[in-house]
Amino acid sequence: MSQPRISAYASLANGNAQPTRVIQGPKTLQARTSHYIAVDAVHDELAVPNPFAQAILTFRGGAMGNEAPIRVIQGPKTLLSAVDNVAVDPVHRELITASFPADSILVYRSDANGDVEPIRILRGPKTQLDRPIRVEIDPINNLIAVMNDHALLVFNRTDSGDVAPKWIIEGPKTGIGTRNGTRDLKLFPDGKKIIAGASFRPPRGSRSGEANAEDEQGFFRAGQRFIGVWKYGDTGDVSPWAVLNYSPITKIPGSRMALNPEGADLIIGGDGRVSVYHLPEIFRPGN
Amino acid sequence: MLLPTKFYRVFVGIMVVSAGVAAQQRNNPPERRPLVLDRAPARTIADPNPVFRAIVIDSDHGEVLMANDKESAGTSVLVYPTQFPSTNRIMEPSRRIAGPKTDLGMVCGLAVSVKSGELYSVSGETGTLNVYALDATGNVGPARQLKGVMPRASAGVFLDVKNDELFITTEHVNRISVYPRTFREDQEPLRFIQGPDSGLADPHGIYVDSETNEIFVSNHGNWRETQTGEGEVRGPNSLTRTSLGYNVPGRVLPLAPSTGKFLGPSITVHSRTAGANAPPLRTIHGPHTLLSLPDGIYRDPMSGEIIVANTGDDSVLFFAKDATGDATPVRILKGPATKMKGPVGVSIDTKRNELWVASWDSHVAAVFPRMANGNIAPLRIIRTAPENAPPASMGRIGAVAYDPKRKEILTPN
Repeated sequence: MSQPRISAYASLANGNAQPTRVIQGPKTLQARTSHYIAVDAVHDELAVPNPFAQAILTFRGGAMGNEAPIRVIQGPKTLLSAVDNVAVDPVHRELITASFPADSILVYRSDANGDVEPIRILRGPKTQLDRPIRVEIDPINNLIAVMNDHALLVFNRTDSGDVAPKWIIEGPKTGIGTRNGTRDLKLFPDGKKIIAGASFRPPRGSRSGEANAEDEQGFFRAGQRFIGVWKYGDTGDVSPWAVLNYSPITKIPGSRMALNPEGADLIIGGDGRVSVYHLPEIFRPGN
Repeated sequence: MLLPTKFYRVFVGIMVVSAGVAAQQRNNPPERRPLVLDRAPARTIADPNPVFRAIVIDSDHGEVLMANDKESAGTSVLVYPTQFPSTNRIMEPSRRIAGPKTDLGMVCGLAVSVKSGELYSVSGETGTLNVYALDATGNVGPARQLKGVMPRASAGVFLDVKNDELFITTEHVNRISVYPRTFREDQEPLRFIQGPDSGLADPHGIYVDSETNEIFVSNHGNWRETQTGEGEVRGPNSLTRTSLGYNVPGRVLPLAPSTGKFLGPSITVHSRTAGANAPPLRTIHGPHTLLSLPDGIYRDPMSGEIIVANTGDDSVLFFAKDATGDATPVRILKGPATKMKGPVGVSIDTKRNELWVASWDSHVAAVFPRMANGNIAPLRIIRTAPENAPPASMGRIGAVAYDPKRKEILTPN
């Protein structure tokens, strides 16, 4: 790539589309290797991390071009290190980030600016935090979900200190965890669903792409990407409720995701492209 | 009819076991069978055209080699002749190195050794340094690979021909690593510059002048305090787990005060033989420099001018050979006639007295007279996309988001 940027495309864009706007330039204070973006639709703001300057940048929702962030959380008190993810709780006005180097979750006021301390820290052996890379908030059902090395952990939103997770989704039937290639997770509060993708590793002794026993159920094609959907309350080694597998038809480009509940779309990014999947089953009430 | 006692016991036993199994089945819900949603995407946004990133010229063989780091077009090294009839049409490379065997990854930097017949590439994602035959083509594996302790996410590479050393910048850990050209796979660096006094802040492009014994590095300015040795891949002894990738535990860092700052863009000039936390010899930095997200860097071997691909404002800046501090550029190449958009790579063809600029956004490599200045049209261009194609705007996608108010898909990259 040439320079750090956020490119925006119309939701109905297709093919080699022109972006509707681009946020780029030195005033934006973005860094390359930006691994996340959070949208606060209530306050019309965007939050992105800058891992190299240890900062969280907040922009106007309609920011364009070489536009400076409206707030920057940065400084010694913040305790931020290689911050590469951020989630926003627009209801309670909080920003939250998972610290991969420090096995912790840091929470800030989302309208905070400058050198501010976290208002809550989740950390300690009971939390089972182990190389967390992503965190998401459900402000309606008061949950936070964290993607770990080998498990997805769900806590109460206001948990602080050394607290055990409420639910833990982990094990061979789940296929998720950073070690399996999971790089993102999403929560759908209205339908009480957890969505995460990964890439199943082939069972020992099998060839890449070779089907294993579970494949007869249309799931778990060894070594291939998938997006799985779990329900709130799922815990332990539990298969997903629904699955979108990689295939020559689906061509899932990666495991970075966004939800468009209004359009019933799951948006997946990776490999230099973005694909939109119309999946009303995930968003249908009662499912 | 009375059953023998033996049969009665077996019958009761079977009934007890069956009742137990039934009770167990009632307690354990049946295995969940996932609802399979496999279907084609309704829409896909992707740019199929290759882009130009790093650029290196093999004057002896009349070839220019450019790195294409665009995943949607298949990452590759594209090779073109330096001399060709001027055209505004898409130009096919004379050869390309691409395919799964190449292990190019997100190819960010290139260097060549004509004498040794070797091409060197660094991957921005893994930090791996690959070596190919200079005339390699197609889906060929690297002849050699440097893995060892090399930090991940390297950006620039330069071969100092005189001293037979390879210099590599690493963005994540503010570092310059130096290796012998003839490295082994597990080679330790000969020396490296890294630490809070080094002045390195999100380093990208690198050029080494073996006559003046200077290293020139472009920095975006995102800074945090790094420890000497940080980023080296040393298993459990690594200073940070971030250097190990996602799957290796590493050590848990304490929650310590942050050190991050925005220092602003700079060109740092280091001694070629410096090591550890050595401060730069001089730094070009300040508002008069007009530096804005500087990337590729080169030194004019005749004038000594420092040439910088200034990505942030679509320009190429030329600084006096001894520039320091808040220096004003002596020349600026900029404007719509140049066809530069998102310039990232610069080089000089000394045999033909020409300046080459690779622009990522416009899919164009442009050739100018060596002393070009202002808003001038290039002598000729190589393009990989039609002139009216949208500019490249999506690199490696680190995330995707949806803005419901504007009905937009957002991609930071």
